[in-house]
Amino acid sequence: MIAYVGPDLPQDVLTATGACSGPVGWNVDRPFPAADRWLESKFPLWTRSILQDWSDGALDGLDAVLFSRGDDAAQRLYYYICELRQRGEIAGPEPMIFDTATIQRASSVAHMGKAIRRLAERLGIDDDALEQGIVATNALRLAAPQVCGDAPLCLLGGTPPPDARIHAMIEAAGWRAAGPTLAQSWQNPSDLRVEEGSGDPCAAIARQLHEAAQGSRAFRDHADALSAQARQVRASAVLLWFAEEDEARIWHLPAQRDALADANIPTLILTRRDWRANDGVAEDITKFLKELKA
Amino acid sequence: MNDIIAPRATGQRSRKDLACTAVASAYQKQFGADLKRRVVDEGEPFAIVQADTPHEIFHVMDIPIITNQWWSAYISAKQLSGHYFDVMARHGYPENSCKYCSLGLACTLANDPKTAPWGGLPKPTVLVARLTCDCIQHVFGQWAQALGSEFFPMEAPAWEHKEAHWFQHSRSAWRRVYEPDRIALMVAEMRDLISLLENRTGRRFDEAKLHHLMERINEQEGYIWEAAQAIGSARPCPVSIAEQMPNTMIPQWHRGSDWAVAHARRFRDEVMERVASGAGAADNERIRLMWIGAGVWHDPGFYQALEERLGAVFVWSMYMPFAGPQYIRELQGQPMDALASRICSMNEVLHLPPWMNGWMTSEAERCGIDACVILLPPDNRLSQSGTKLTALSLEAAGVPVLAIDADMVDAANWNHDAMVAMVADFLAARGLA
Repeated sequence: MIAYVGPDLPQDVLTATGACSGPVGWNVDRPFPAADRWLESKFPLWTRSILQDWSDGALDGLDAVLFSRGDDAAQRLYYYICELRQRGEIAGPEPMIFDTATIQRASSVAHMGKAIRRLAERLGIDDDALEQGIVATNALRLAAPQVCGDAPLCLLGGTPPPDARIHAMIEAAGWRAAGPTLAQSWQNPSDLRVEEGSGDPCAAIARQLHEAAQGSRAFRDHADALSAQARQVRASAVLLWFAEEDEARIWHLPAQRDALADANIPTLILTRRDWRANDGVAEDITKFLKELKA
Repeated sequence: MNDIIAPRATGQRSRKDLACTAVASAYQKQFGADLKRRVVDEGEPFAIVQADTPHEIFHVMDIPIITNQWWSAYISAKQLSGHYFDVMARHGYPENSCKYCSLGLACTLANDPKTAPWGGLPKPTVLVARLTCDCIQHVFGQWAQALGSEFFPMEAPAWEHKEAHWFQHSRSAWRRVYEPDRIALMVAEMRDLISLLENRTGRRFDEAKLHHLMERINEQEGYIWEAAQAIGSARPCPVSIAEQMPNTMIPQWHRGSDWAVAHARRFRDEVMERVASGAGAADNERIRLMWIGAGVWHDPGFYQALEERLGAVFVWSMYMPFAGPQYIRELQGQPMDALASRICSMNEVLHLPPWMNGWMTSEAERCGIDACVILLPPDNRLSQSGTKLTALSLEAAGVPVLAIDADMVDAANWNHDAMVAMVADFLAARGLA
């Protein structure tokens, strides 16, 4: 069984294994005594939880964990785990890294194509199995989730939160919540389909993955993307929540704030927040949304 | 990584023992004036680049470059960093944004020629950065937009081939150490960058010139490496890191030029003279210290503060010994590939296990280090990266380690006396002083 850590991974390849359990889970509401010995302060809590679980043997049921180069914390965690395994400090599954390359240049697409080929070979997947993985994943791409209900909708942007706890705070204020958790953002294969029957499935996956990159290293207009998403889900309000450790998405906050103001969408901005959402964020959200509803 | 010693902004000045140190500082001051004349006054095409990008390409094409880290240090030395942090806050960026990367962006966003060094930077031909951390593409992308220019990012790909003793093989077996695919990707990117520069500036790239430059850089870094070997084995340490850094880094900004090669040789000669005469950075060297992290540009006197009182001498920082393993390359008839191997892991070997801890533990042993002080910038994951595992490696090798929470360009949480006292207390607590 294989699990993964990070965004912009080749979901089609993982599907083709028939043995992917999805993102590695975490619990951020507990101490991390071992992980805190090895990780510096800027590592987000989910990395601490994963490393603590690794150290505790909680991930021993996995054969391998695939880390993404598409997220700085994920890729650094990979190197730390390799080192700790080499030192004998931890055991657990085999760490692997996928070389996500997001720059809008042919050399990056080609590099990622080679990375997909290497990964497929390492996982023992031939081209026929890859084609089946593409077909199965394309089917998932057609079934985009909808947020149902009559209540006004609040879009959650900024740092994807650890789980649905902030969504629950929004719903407790009588609103519907949209926007992915961190794990959902990693699982999302994007709406863009991979070309089927291309004759070179690795190259086809690389082209799609490159064009549809969604992580914090994706090259796109993050303000436009947020505005478009707000329009698509018909958001009546937006909550921009940024964790203390966020060092990528936060750079687009001024542009996103301005774009939402131009679109006349009421926005609550919360920066440098605790990942556990235990720092008064519930009260801030309730006050903001109840005043809007009134 | 390349950085540069900046003049005092806060804290205390450092003492200079070598004649060549003043020569290097004077050269850099004149270079700054020449750079301003070329870029600002005469409007020559230029580029803004990160320190870990292939400067050699620009040198071959005679295109001036302004390095982001150098510009940040320059702004910091002008005591403008606090002002620009306020500017970023006014624009809506949180106060914990990466400061080392973003001072130049802040200066541009401030759009205040009266306050800005050089009146602010004009529009560059291009901005270039390797994507070593997650913030840099956003900072450079927005900086390019604010300047009306173009951002040329370069990948910092994953590295699966792990050799903890990379530094013993990187000079000749660089293709194996740094991985053929990673080198090939960087060569492809460099060729795209060259095309962009040729199209925008009309200047031509000559691979024969690169070959010659690479040979000259090997000669230059060979002198620095020779001096680093001597400093590691000499007792007492002939030159503190406060002088190692400018005499390594200033020539490294100009690597391969006639001046840089000559200066590296002169520095090597002065070091050797001091070794031969038994001259020490301190009169009573008793404790040999290692400094891990970027230089504290706002307080260079920090490094020499405990020499007289405790005989504690900072004998090692990464800049000088890095010259050997990360710069010197057997060209093997492929200067572009050799250059790529120099650049494609310049940051990684300093911030990721096993390369960082493998090298630094080996260096501590080579230099007879008694204790280590590590800089831990609170708001910069990249600069923090690898420090805890390296500290554990050093402690396991018998080297006590003190971590200091401070920033290399932000003096706000730095107090010279308190920091010196912290180091003194640490040395006392570990039975060294």
